[in-house]
Amino acid sequence: MNVTDRESSKGLRAVAVVHLRGEVSDARHTKVLEALTRLLPRVGVEGRGTFACDLRGTGRLLGPPERVGARIVATLERVHIAAAIGIAPGPFTARVIAERAPTGEVARLREGEERAFLAVLPLSTLPIDEEHREELALLGIRNVGAFAVLGRGAVLDRFGRAVAAAHALACGEDAGEVHGAPPRRRILARRSWDAAITEREQLLFALKSALDEVSGELERDGLSALRLEARLEREDAPPLRIERLVLPPAANGSALLRSMRWALEERPYGEELGRVIGVRVEATEVEPSRGRQIGLFAADGASEEEAIAVARYLRSRLGPGGVVRAHVSGPDARLAEREAEWEEVVS
Amino acid sequence: MAAATALADAIARLDVRFGSRTVVTATNAADRARQRRFLTGTSFDRLSGGIEPGSAFAFVGEGTCGKVTLALRAVAGVQRDGAMTLWVDGARSFDPLAAQRAGVDLRRVVVVRARSGDEVRLAAGAGLRSEGFRLVVIDLGPSFAQVASIDALAPVLPQVRGSTSALAVVADVPAMRLAIPTFTFERVTWESRHGRTVGWSFAVRRSDAADREQALLQAI
Repeated sequence: MNVTDRESSKGLRAVAVVHLRGEVSDARHTKVLEALTRLLPRVGVEGRGTFACDLRGTGRLLGPPERVGARIVATLERVHIAAAIGIAPGPFTARVIAERAPTGEVARLREGEERAFLAVLPLSTLPIDEEHREELALLGIRNVGAFAVLGRGAVLDRFGRAVAAAHALACGEDAGEVHGAPPRRRILARRSWDAAITEREQLLFALKSALDEVSGELERDGLSALRLEARLEREDAPPLRIERLVLPPAANGSALLRSMRWALEERPYGEELGRVIGVRVEATEVEPSRGRQIGLFAADGASEEEAIAVARYLRSRLGPGGVVRAHVSGPDARLAEREAEWEEVVS
Repeated sequence: MAAATALADAIARLDVRFGSRTVVTATNAADRARQRRFLTGTSFDRLSGGIEPGSAFAFVGEGTCGKVTLALRAVAGVQRDGAMTLWVDGARSFDPLAAQRAGVDLRRVVVVRARSGDEVRLAAGAGLRSEGFRLVVIDLGPSFAQVASIDALAPVLPQVRGSTSALAVVADVPAMRLAIPTFTFERVTWESRHGRTVGWSFAVRRSDAADREQALLQAI
């Protein structure tokens, strides 16, 4: 067992940051995240096209960090994705190295080398806002090394907590952790029909089973759909794509179906649905389900969310002032119009 | 025996597919329907038997004869269970003060100011299809009569069946072509105290009932 193997097996901190080169599309970002998650136990997203991988405890199984880095580069090259890898004890330094490393290379900093590496870099490398950076420049501080020699207490007193945190990074004290961000599981359902559907109501009936399947998947994961997308395959026309924002986010099949119904009803008058022979429904954006008022003391308290969702929909159709709620402000007012006030249910 | 097993199997499959208690005996169904009814707390309840979710009815009569007053009482009755109400106000006649006096919780009434027949149908349809409301009131009062009549609500009525909400339509003239249970309102007398008019008494009767049974109410 060499030195690096021992480091990893002892649980010493090592973070590999993968920095993609070139333009990073949504699909490419997701693809890389999925590939990294298959390779390593904890992968976080630092930014678009930048991923942090925690290498603690992986030495015995995967070898030293450099070998892991080389393996990542090779895996990505196989799918024609160019990247550079930076390895350091903390995610910030690893990211700085990765951004500066040549494409296809693995660069590594060992424990204790961070401060010297960062010292020559410009101050803009650190997460300091423009205003404070200009103030530091007026004091003659233009690189990380000059900033690191300042007293921590003085920095905190003068510039506040955020700049003091940047000062700690400048001193090589990168205490950041990798927060795992597993790739989202795609929640979708497909249906196809031998006989084409031409009526809206029939289509909604047929959609129900697909939406029930999506609903089941969402409920199993404790999620609610925030955005729903349906792609209707048509015999006599190009596919029709419908995207809905579900408010409030819901996992319930009937709420999803209602949203789809509204989408179909909102289509311009006279526009034919066409001959629909298949559908793919996907919850493209989800969020953890929140608790609902179950109405222990008010039998229908849970329905209020639904009512507000309807109010929001109607307001979007009728415009401002179309959906209102009244409250009595002065029952004894002399003028009738001063007795009550109207307010928007949703604004 | 085999038939009983097959029946139980079929019921179990329906329960799995559509949710528990999809299939119930007629007695249970009637009991549940009775429990779901809500009352206005007036003698109108004896006449109507309570308002049942999934039903539609119309209050018809000339101006100032108590239609909106009774509709507000119905709203208050629905709210006793904590439910929300949608008031589609074509006639711009929703009076918050009168509603409060009728016992309505204004925080749980969503008022839609519709300007056309299409907007009335849109709002009523959305309210009936959602599970957010227990009562949808459409007010087609005199100022809106030229814009839309009860007959114009024909596309909305199929959505009432199976809805968790009831539909009440308030209008001056009855439907000509639409078959909707209608209650006719008639002012009986003006109520006065100390020489000042403070309200009126009105009678309500079912238009389709053979007998002359009616409910007498007061709006003060």
